Amino acid sequence: MSGSDIDPPDPAAEYVLGTLDAAEADAAQARIAADPGFAAAVRAWEGRLTPLTLLVTPVPPPEALWDRVQASCALDVPAPANENRPGWWRGTAIASLAVAAGLAAFIVLHPAPAPVFAVLTPIGTTAAVLVAFGGPHGGIVVRPSGAIHIATDRDLELWSLAAGALRPEPLGVIPPSGREILPIAAGTQLLVSLEPKGGSPTGQPTGPVMFGGTLQRANE
Amino acid sequence: MPADAANPTAAELIGRCAEKDRAAFRMLYSQWSSRLHGVAMRITRDPALAADATHDAFVQVWQQAARFDPTRGEASSWLMSLARYRALDMVRRRGREVLGHEPVKEEADQGPDPLSALLTATDGGALHRCLQTLSEERRRLVVLAFVEGYSHSQLAAKLEAPIGTVKSWIRRSLTGLKACLAT
Repeated sequence: MSGSDIDPPDPAAEYVLGTLDAAEADAAQARIAADPGFAAAVRAWEGRLTPLTLLVTPVPPPEALWDRVQASCALDVPAPANENRPGWWRGTAIASLAVAAGLAAFIVLHPAPAPVFAVLTPIGTTAAVLVAFGGPHGGIVVRPSGAIHIATDRDLELWSLAAGALRPEPLGVIPPSGREILPIAAGTQLLVSLEPKGGSPTGQPTGPVMFGGTLQRANE
Repeated sequence: MPADAANPTAAELIGRCAEKDRAAFRMLYSQWSSRLHGVAMRITRDPALAADATHDAFVQVWQQAARFDPTRGEASSWLMSLARYRALDMVRRRGREVLGHEPVKEEADQGPDPLSALLTATDGGALHRCLQTLSEERRRLVVLAFVEGYSHSQLAAKLEAPIGTVKSWIRRSLTGLKACLAT
């Protein structure tokens, strides 16, 4: 470091850092367009500091945002020809969802006609809840793996927690044979708690949450 | 990431966007929208504003892809910068000084090595090493400004230091980082 007490201002660096006020930032943006040397200095600082964005947890944007982007770009991307499904999953290339859970990752290898999938669990454990798209009624199938053993006076209950929601919604007890739920939006968390036989008496989870994961599109 | 037909790099996808390849744009959105949106959320702390920033950034990607020159910068820097600048513009326009909103959580301040995530990136190791050459206070300034979008006055309040001192620390930190990263 230099011995000088005063470091000269570096507007390219401070523009990239984000600390310029509105007028200074406007001036920097104008200079980027007009001054190739300044633009190169900005790019160099972007290269230096962008790794800091790795400190930020990714957040999926709202489901509808892609439609907005397409509309703004005057894109008219047609849905795939075999796409004939309602609402929230329209426009996706592969009509499959995966739960990326702490305990189980569900991978759709082929979406149709009979999805092939694998459940990846941490080595040494086998307990998992399988979540698969394409139930007999077009919904999402949620089924415990055969390896989940619970007391006879207990049930596993399924909950959905929409992105940003504070309280989960009950989706019912999961019988060993599994159950089919209506399609719900990607980005929604699915949680499974251990409850008294018949399900939570309060409408909110009362036992420990044993499994959890966020619905994601398999092709993203 | 190795480039092949089934797994194109971000730079390749941006190149295809410049040729108005919609499938490439969709793939780029799938791969990058969560990272861009995460950054926009962190700076704006407002889901609606963040969605606007992410939207605007991707519209810029589609419209300005031809301006991206892979010989002059990384695709990740180009993409992330689009979202950051939009988010920063929005909070400036909305008056972040007035709002003075506090971060919900400062993930960057947590853990024994809050910057360890940098080590996962090929170009993050050097930045990690150089940030360690700064005092903890100055390192925090850089991270709070870049990651959280803090203005000078917010930084001054956060660190309980005069604004002139904060500006001077920032300049000194940036000078030091630049010198360190050049070695």
